[in-house]
Amino acid sequence: MKEDLLLLDPEALNACVSCGLCLPHCPTYRVTGDERMSPRGRIALMRSVGTNEFDPTAEWIHSMDTCVQCRGCETACPSSVPFGDLIGDTKKALSGIRKLPLAVRGGLFILDKPLLLAGVTFFIGSLQKLGFLRNSSYIPADVPLFRRGIKTDHSSDDPVLFTGCVMEAWTPWVHSAAIKTLNFFGVNVSLSGKKVGCCGALHEHSGLRSVSERIAEKVVEGIPGKGPILVNSAGCGAMMKEYGKLLKTDKAKKFSERVFDVHEWIAKNHELPDKIEKKEHLVVQDPCHLRHAQKSHQFVREVLSPFAELIELPDEGLCCGAGGAFSVSQKQLSTEIRGLKSKALVEAMGEGEKLRVVSANPGCVTHLQAEGFEIKHPLEVVAEYVTEMNGTNEMNKFDE
Amino acid sequence: MRKRHQKLKDPLLKALIRALDENRVTDGASARRIYSKDGSVMEGGRAGIICFPEDTSEVAACVSIAKEFDREFVTRGAGTGLAGGSVPCNDPIMIVTTRMNKIIDVDLKKRIAWVQPGVVNLDLSNSLKGTGLHFAPDPSSQQACTIGGNVANNSGGPHCLAYGVTNSHVAALEVVLPDASIAQLGTIEGEAGGYDLRGVFVGGEGTLGVATLIAVRLTEDPPEIATLLLDFSKITDAAETVSQIIANGVLPAALELMDRNVVAAVEPFAKAGYPLDAEAVLIAEVDGLPEGVSHEVNIISEIAKNNGVREVRMAANEEERERIWKGRKSAFGAIAKIQPDYYLHDTVIPRGRLAEVIQKVYEIAEKYGLTVMNVFHAGDGNLHPLLVFDARLPGTLEKVQRAGEEIVQISLEVGGVLSGEHGIGLEKQRFMSQQFSERDLEAQDALRRSFDPENRSNPHKVLPTGSSCGEMSSLNEIPEGVWI
Repeated sequence: MKEDLLLLDPEALNACVSCGLCLPHCPTYRVTGDERMSPRGRIALMRSVGTNEFDPTAEWIHSMDTCVQCRGCETACPSSVPFGDLIGDTKKALSGIRKLPLAVRGGLFILDKPLLLAGVTFFIGSLQKLGFLRNSSYIPADVPLFRRGIKTDHSSDDPVLFTGCVMEAWTPWVHSAAIKTLNFFGVNVSLSGKKVGCCGALHEHSGLRSVSERIAEKVVEGIPGKGPILVNSAGCGAMMKEYGKLLKTDKAKKFSERVFDVHEWIAKNHELPDKIEKKEHLVVQDPCHLRHAQKSHQFVREVLSPFAELIELPDEGLCCGAGGAFSVSQKQLSTEIRGLKSKALVEAMGEGEKLRVVSANPGCVTHLQAEGFEIKHPLEVVAEYVTEMNGTNEMNKFDE
Repeated sequence: MRKRHQKLKDPLLKALIRALDENRVTDGASARRIYSKDGSVMEGGRAGIICFPEDTSEVAACVSIAKEFDREFVTRGAGTGLAGGSVPCNDPIMIVTTRMNKIIDVDLKKRIAWVQPGVVNLDLSNSLKGTGLHFAPDPSSQQACTIGGNVANNSGGPHCLAYGVTNSHVAALEVVLPDASIAQLGTIEGEAGGYDLRGVFVGGEGTLGVATLIAVRLTEDPPEIATLLLDFSKITDAAETVSQIIANGVLPAALELMDRNVVAAVEPFAKAGYPLDAEAVLIAEVDGLPEGVSHEVNIISEIAKNNGVREVRMAANEEERERIWKGRKSAFGAIAKIQPDYYLHDTVIPRGRLAEVIQKVYEIAEKYGLTVMNVFHAGDGNLHPLLVFDARLPGTLEKVQRAGEEIVQISLEVGGVLSGEHGIGLEKQRFMSQQFSERDLEAQDALRRSFDPENRSNPHKVLPTGSSCGEMSSLNEIPEGVWI
């Protein structure tokens, strides 16, 4: 074993007193009952390899690879163990000693290559139109065949909507909804566009630190100015809020301070409309990277509250199992975890009609859609209502 | 593949895999490392083969194989125990119950739920929401700990002051005895004749067999609850208040005390609005019919005022109440905010002597130059003095151990007992002979042997064995200068 394997922060490891309060909040422990797949267990194993007690065996690596990185344990931890950092650094160390599954490597390679992504998108879209590839856990239904380049202009200090990679290519209607919503509040946004592209979150979560650093630098350079950067994917938002920590430069730190989840920014800066009269019941599913990483999940509720009666899930924000590349690399676990989420969703809906669900992260939406739920991004729902209120259905620049 | 071939050569492993399946039996180094520890600072031997059975017959198969191969076995739930009760000595077969997590049947009319031992305590109460019933024992680790573990330790919790500990809430048990036979102890239809073996089994710390199904009694939700936060500038005043509340005939649902250090550790996490400048915060909860509740609130407030309380605050709503409890129940887990390690005792002392003993606990800590944090079930005199420290500092562990011993001494001297709810486990065996005479211990050993003549089920625990297994360790053994 290499001498410089884990390089974890000893104080971060020391912050765990092994009380076990994290256990029930860990999705992989919940479905397996196996402490090797729990935060406390993983920390014990990090310590063991750290103290040279034993080498990282296949079993050890599996414990680390099966972490969804939902960070639900961070919310549960009374001693604030920075588990996200510990597992992130561990995965980085692992990238040197084991290969990621081919499907993951391939996917990650494509994400920050706009042209390649466009080609793959066309291919996937075609397959779907021919009736294949429906109901996938990680590819949304109805992927558009191709998309024209979108206008980008972020020289001014106007807010910028971060359009990302697959979200722009596969579910562009979510961005349209975000723009409609922002227009409703009198906000004009420019778009980050294909040139800025991917945020690097999935690369970081897979331990490809040098790639994520390169992508982060590209994004920081690509969106200059002082205006707020609005993100409607919880995973991307969480990543971009941590660019400062990742790159450790003043520029990146300043950039991170400009990043907001769209709901967060609207709730903090705009007055919400009066409550509408007849409200639908809507189940809110919190993406982990909004609830546990950004801790901004309450803003989704604020923004939705004029339009819908919100129903909470009884699972204290337990992960749905999507986890970015996790649903590809750990398919079985991912499906088992989704089973728990399905149960919670059904329980929350009660016995009446089937309700719509909202989740502010594209990965969660796709993952739960495959289970048959009618699930939308919260801004899609808001856009429906504000369009109704305005009595128009005009196209915005994203649709052009 | 070579490894696999070797694996199959181990007949014990082969037998266990045959009884369960390949995915639920492991002797991997990672698993053996993790399952060698629980929530305590105790270290014993190393876990042997780890099994994850899912029902009674699979547990019986594991026990039967242990017997066949003449091996010891240790049962473990979520591993949140604080006395090393599930820490293995030698290399026993570990029977892990976390996959036995089904609520089998809930009978609302009889107010009984049959559950598997791996059901998480809080999951049971959460699943009963809307029925007007709940499971009363609420150890602070209730969000993580299992009901099987509660049975093994006869666990308490803040609300056991009025509602009684686990033993009062277990009607019957299906158990696998150490000879692999299956027995039912107790009945759900009231007292059976003969000796109360159910009562013996509850609190047996896994030394009498494995509970594989538990019939728990469900308790009615109280119609009204009032949660008070009382803020004192002297901890002895708070302790005096506790004694007087009970002496005045009021039995609150819970009566919990936290000192300044504990409040400082948990408040940033729980955001419960605990006063950070108070020397002691007392949480008093009363429940029952509305008239009774307001009457008791008045009495408690009056007593507190006479003892110099600075402020009495009542939780305005359920959310506030939850935050107050979240803080209290996170106390142990929040210790790393102060120091990376903790060691605690859970002696019980006569309530009337709380103020005096607490004072002595602080003096003992001071004598050894240690920080002590007090958070405890004041209502029933169950202390939890947490000695917090950094085990990486040379000589600290010894000091902690000596201070711990003195705390136990003083507790026993005033007529107290060793453990209120955490159990004896590995940690407190050496104190047993201070509380019990040799004849007492022999009688207890005879009882144990009547269940487990071959000393196979969680041996080396509870009763002093003279074996060298079990030492206090640092949870965070990180030798200096390693590249971590």
